[in-house]
Amino acid sequence: MRSAAWLFALAPLLAGDVFAQEGGGEPPAGGEGDAAGADAPKDEGEWFAVVGGDVYTGTGAVLRGATVLARGGVIREIGHEVEIPEDAKRLDATGLSVYPGLVALNVRGVANRLGAGDYADSFDPYSQNLVLALAAGITTVSEGSVALKLKRGEVKGVVMRERFLSTLGYSTSAPRSKGELDEKFAAAAAYLRRYRDWEEQKKTNKELKEPPARGVDPSIRAILENRTLARFNATTRTDLLGIARLAQKHKFRPVIEGAVEAWTVADELGRAGAYAVVVPRSRRDKSEELVRPGGSSIENAAILHKSGVQVAIQASSTFIDLGGIAGRDILHLPIEAGFAVRGGLPEQAALEGITIVPARILGVDHRVGSLEVGKDCDLILLDGDLLHYQSLVQYTVVDGKLVYEKDKELYYAHIRPRPSTQPADAPEARRDKGEEEVKASDSEGEDKPEDKPEEKPEEKPEEKPSDGASDEG
Amino acid sequence: MLLRTFLSSLLPVALAASALAAPADLLAIRVGRAETVSHGAIEHAVLLIEDGRIVTIGADLPVERGIPVLERPEWTVMPGLVLPYSRLGLDGRAGAEFTPEVSPAAEVLPRISDYRDALELGITTIGLYPPGNGVPGQAIAIRPKGDTLEEMLIKEGAYLKVYFRADARSKKMVKDAWAKVDEYDDKVKKAKEKWTKDQEKSKSAKKPAEGEKKDEEKPADKPAEKSGDAGKGAAKGFVPPPPDDKVRPFLRVRDGKLLPLVSISQAADWAHWLDAIGERKFDFALRVVMQRELDLYYVLEEVAKRKCTLVMEPEITYQIATMRQRNLPAEFAAAGSRIVLIPRGEDLDSHAAWRVDVGDLVKNGLERKTALDALTLAGASVMGLEKDYGSLEKGKVANLLFLDGDPFEPATKVMAVMLDGEFVHGEVRQ
Amino acid sequence: MVSPVASAAQRESGRSTSSASTRLVAAALAACCAAACTASGPRSERSSAAASPQARGEIRALAEGEQGFAIVAGKVLTADERDQVFEPGLVVVRDRCIDYVGPLVELPEGYERLDAPELFAAPGMIDLHSHVQSGGWGDLNDMVISLNPEFRSSPTLVPGNESVRRACAGGITTLFGIPGSGTNNGGFGVLYKTRCESTYDGCVLADPGGMKVAQAYNPERGADLGATRAGMAWNLARANEIALAANRDGRDHFALRNLQKVHTKELPLLIHTAGPACHTTIDMWGERYPVRAVLSHGCFNGWRFAPYAAQVGMPMNLGPRTFDWFSSREGQVIGTPQRYEQAGAALISVNTDAPVMPQEELALQGAMGARLGASSYLMLKACTYNPAKSFGLEDKVGSLSPGRHADIVLWRGDPLDPRARVERVWIEGRLEYDRERDGQRF
Repeated sequence: MRSAAWLFALAPLLAGDVFAQEGGGEPPAGGEGDAAGADAPKDEGEWFAVVGGDVYTGTGAVLRGATVLARGGVIREIGHEVEIPEDAKRLDATGLSVYPGLVALNVRGVANRLGAGDYADSFDPYSQNLVLALAAGITTVSEGSVALKLKRGEVKGVVMRERFLSTLGYSTSAPRSKGELDEKFAAAAAYLRRYRDWEEQKKTNKELKEPPARGVDPSIRAILENRTLARFNATTRTDLLGIARLAQKHKFRPVIEGAVEAWTVADELGRAGAYAVVVPRSRRDKSEELVRPGGSSIENAAILHKSGVQVAIQASSTFIDLGGIAGRDILHLPIEAGFAVRGGLPEQAALEGITIVPARILGVDHRVGSLEVGKDCDLILLDGDLLHYQSLVQYTVVDGKLVYEKDKELYYAHIRPRPSTQPADAPEARRDKGEEEVKASDSEGEDKPEDKPEEKPEEKPEEKPSDGASDEG
Repeated sequence: MLLRTFLSSLLPVALAASALAAPADLLAIRVGRAETVSHGAIEHAVLLIEDGRIVTIGADLPVERGIPVLERPEWTVMPGLVLPYSRLGLDGRAGAEFTPEVSPAAEVLPRISDYRDALELGITTIGLYPPGNGVPGQAIAIRPKGDTLEEMLIKEGAYLKVYFRADARSKKMVKDAWAKVDEYDDKVKKAKEKWTKDQEKSKSAKKPAEGEKKDEEKPADKPAEKSGDAGKGAAKGFVPPPPDDKVRPFLRVRDGKLLPLVSISQAADWAHWLDAIGERKFDFALRVVMQRELDLYYVLEEVAKRKCTLVMEPEITYQIATMRQRNLPAEFAAAGSRIVLIPRGEDLDSHAAWRVDVGDLVKNGLERKTALDALTLAGASVMGLEKDYGSLEKGKVANLLFLDGDPFEPATKVMAVMLDGEFVHGEVRQ
Repeated sequence: MVSPVASAAQRESGRSTSSASTRLVAAALAACCAAACTASGPRSERSSAAASPQARGEIRALAEGEQGFAIVAGKVLTADERDQVFEPGLVVVRDRCIDYVGPLVELPEGYERLDAPELFAAPGMIDLHSHVQSGGWGDLNDMVISLNPEFRSSPTLVPGNESVRRACAGGITTLFGIPGSGTNNGGFGVLYKTRCESTYDGCVLADPGGMKVAQAYNPERGADLGATRAGMAWNLARANEIALAANRDGRDHFALRNLQKVHTKELPLLIHTAGPACHTTIDMWGERYPVRAVLSHGCFNGWRFAPYAAQVGMPMNLGPRTFDWFSSREGQVIGTPQRYEQAGAALISVNTDAPVMPQEELALQGAMGARLGASSYLMLKACTYNPAKSFGLEDKVGSLSPGRHADIVLWRGDPLDPRARVERVWIEGRLEYDRERDGQRF
């Protein structure tokens, strides 16, 4: 709980006066989430240590060669001088980069239910898509209105939070709904004022009756009481502007999905303290009649971020695509984030856009989204920079348990196996020239051990210089 | 009983009893090889059969003159096949009700050809289960021969069939069943408290009765009178209130007297089954519905840890979404689970191919001794019949399958079948 | 200049855009030094066979009326025949062509000089399988009869359409705009440059640029002769035989004129094929009718025929699918470029099949090939030199080499990295896209 508030303070926030309370994702006292009981550090359970990796905590810090120690699935310590208990399970992270597990919003078909009923009754903890998502570094998802922890082989504690988002319709193409929404907020706000007055007066006058809540939309009330977040789906500048104004007027933080033209009204959204869920590559051509800016922009995420909007990044497609097209589905969430960086978003913000920001939007940031003491030990280990296109998840840990190991599963084991699991002269362990080293040296790689044999790319005979100047492989 | 004592005293000298001592129904059989299942293979085996049971078995035992000897050195003998999971000859249908008290006995029609066909293939014990997708009831064990149900019936309550899938309905059914058990236990506890109080009252009124606590807590599944009257109860000790028909089977499960056979079809079902039963400790077996693709390789170790027997078809399956073949029966066995292999279908062809189908798994890595066990003793064990059936051991029922070669070879033919010590199939002349 | 190694503080903060990108490039530069002394990094110019002026480190002064400029980039990926990498490197453009590529040397007067020590210079990319010439999905196939060797895509070309403009901003400068795969033989595509403001003549590189044939899946649709692969094979063979006979007799067959040129190897051929049909394609166009054929797609489990393709030496143009999962049913996510690379296939290139994939994401196709196991340098070539060579265009486009078109892209980092944006694009010496000037289009 404390850490969530602290994180929030770090986040760039303009016009913060709108918000009386802090911590957008902080669960309400006695809230609806079933998570509340599970988040206190446990004094029992198995020890688990990830040792010697470069730990990207997701809060901006990088601890090189550090250890993350967890017990009972909760992080107990992160640092260089961590004493690891004898009976702790250890995962050697030497040479690997450690990041918080990724949080993917609005996915479909990852956390599957096999039959009727809720997740607790029919979650498939062994489904192929679940494993693939873990292989892509994703440890928390939202499907429908539920935030889910991608547990493997376990059916308990999968649901982290339900119905934290309250979806509202707002569209300039339906002006009536627009007006009605405004009225609902006004009515709920007026009621809350009456309620607070009553609470105050009750202290002296016990006879006073509670003001009737008749006509007050409970979901709007919940939004104004910060028990839920209001979610909108809006694309156009006019809708986005309307939502920003509505939010400023009634003092709530909207979560806006789509947000394609948001970059054109970024200041207003920033003032509204909005969260934006963007697909950096989404495309919408500007209407040719318009002179003012419009349409999609690759700079959307960057501009929003600069204006104080908290940006979550969603992949181009919402499901796992095994049809052969790579780079667009949820298995490539960091690639999608890379396109936001292309548009100018700082890398740290891009990392937050697939970790802590979506966690806040789901109201689970007190448990996941960054590596901090007291949070769930959900982390991923990669053979390089998370946002580099050749980095693959080597291990995934959920609740302090190793749930995915690249070299032990069929999916990606054949691609660049790690030296420890493959003889060094294996044909696939080749090293590229040029660009691959960008990645290697990006993680302090100047002194990196030469674990892969030098081998130049195959050249066809006709491309070889005739003077024999080519290097021998 | 007398006869048996007599015989066993003779055994140290290995059938060396005088011709006079040999009763008329004694029969010795000398075969090339005996697959005992329990104690490996015996070459040049001799079996002595008497009164429907195996009196002894050993290698090259001399047979005293006077005892009729069937000489078949070219034959192999193995225990009659035990098929614990079948609907052979039954055609009832049912939905998804919770009827744990039901038995399929009423459905059984004796003397139909299905049973004779099965018997001629060497299937000497069959477990028939009630139909349905909920908790449809308890299986019965039968011998596939007899003019009446009574003649056929070996055992009622052979196991409790449970159909379980990862869904709300299945989980609720299981949870409710155990909740009823708790409710009943609570009821018993309260009745006991009341009874004790009443006892003390009457004690203070009368003289305390002797040994009244001796046989309290009788097995709950025995019908008992309500201990309403304190005076009467005092004479007999505490008699718990009788459980409901739907509760009684689960009390037996709890007490280890009835084995649930839980049908699952994927790894997720297993996970949810464990979740549904929670902390309760009881034995159960698994019925695995084999499909082309099956993900149960994820739970090999967990299942082995629970020590449950698996009932499955001898089929090679595929790893999900791949063409990678998996011999799951062999994998489960290697992980430490006991397996029962049953025919791939209820039809005659499937029954005829049963041994050979199992043989295919043996060719693909299943251990031979596991395969033999899976056809006989393991199945008997699921039905709680392992003391009397499923292997060639002294004292066991003489259900024997005689073959002209290796049980797993396609060319091997059934030469004879013995049921309860009598040849029921095959040209057998001494 | 950027220090070769960014400070740890800079790395860890990652707070501003500039520090993040600086970090990337700085690291890249440092890495490049390592590459230079180990693998086939930059080579001495003395190894060049031709004793050109640039071999002596001289650059001609501009003549009267000549235009020229020079780019000093942190790293120059020539993607040429000798895989030269210069860091830093100099690219000199005179008129519409490249005049010099190599290490830094003194510039004669008159050249405009652009210093970009934090950027990578690379050749404009080439996509051989693209349908965005008309600006969208329109005008793909006539869909009446299955064999249209008399057709051309050039009438559908809309120069500088939105897709083309975005492609330019994605570093793609040459496209082969082709008919769809709805019919067995869709006709002839047009090779053109992604110039943003242009006339037809101003952007077309070759018309016809090559033929398009579709041999599997899409064209199997009933209606006409050629509903099956057998029918299609017959159709194609019949047309080929007529064209070959016309060539033997020295006749000009009006409808098959361009097909005749395919058989005389004047024009290349791009074949839509995939899965097991790859075998049919290689057999027909690699062995029975040995023309300048390029196999396109090659997806699903087509990679199983990679050794055959390698043996015949047929260039492979892979995409838009870059991996196979369902067809092989091996439980592995199989990167198709990796399998073709492993089999030693000739000239691997990648495509987008735009608008199946957005045209501007060609580099991502390369990145995905590299992610799934192909070497990243090969994937860079697969977007540049290899498609050019596959179509016999290597003397014009696809690499930074003297005498070739000045199609140059300045990247903020590794061209395959989605994070690396394009800063500037020149096509034939003209600045077509400048992020600062035009706004970031991609």
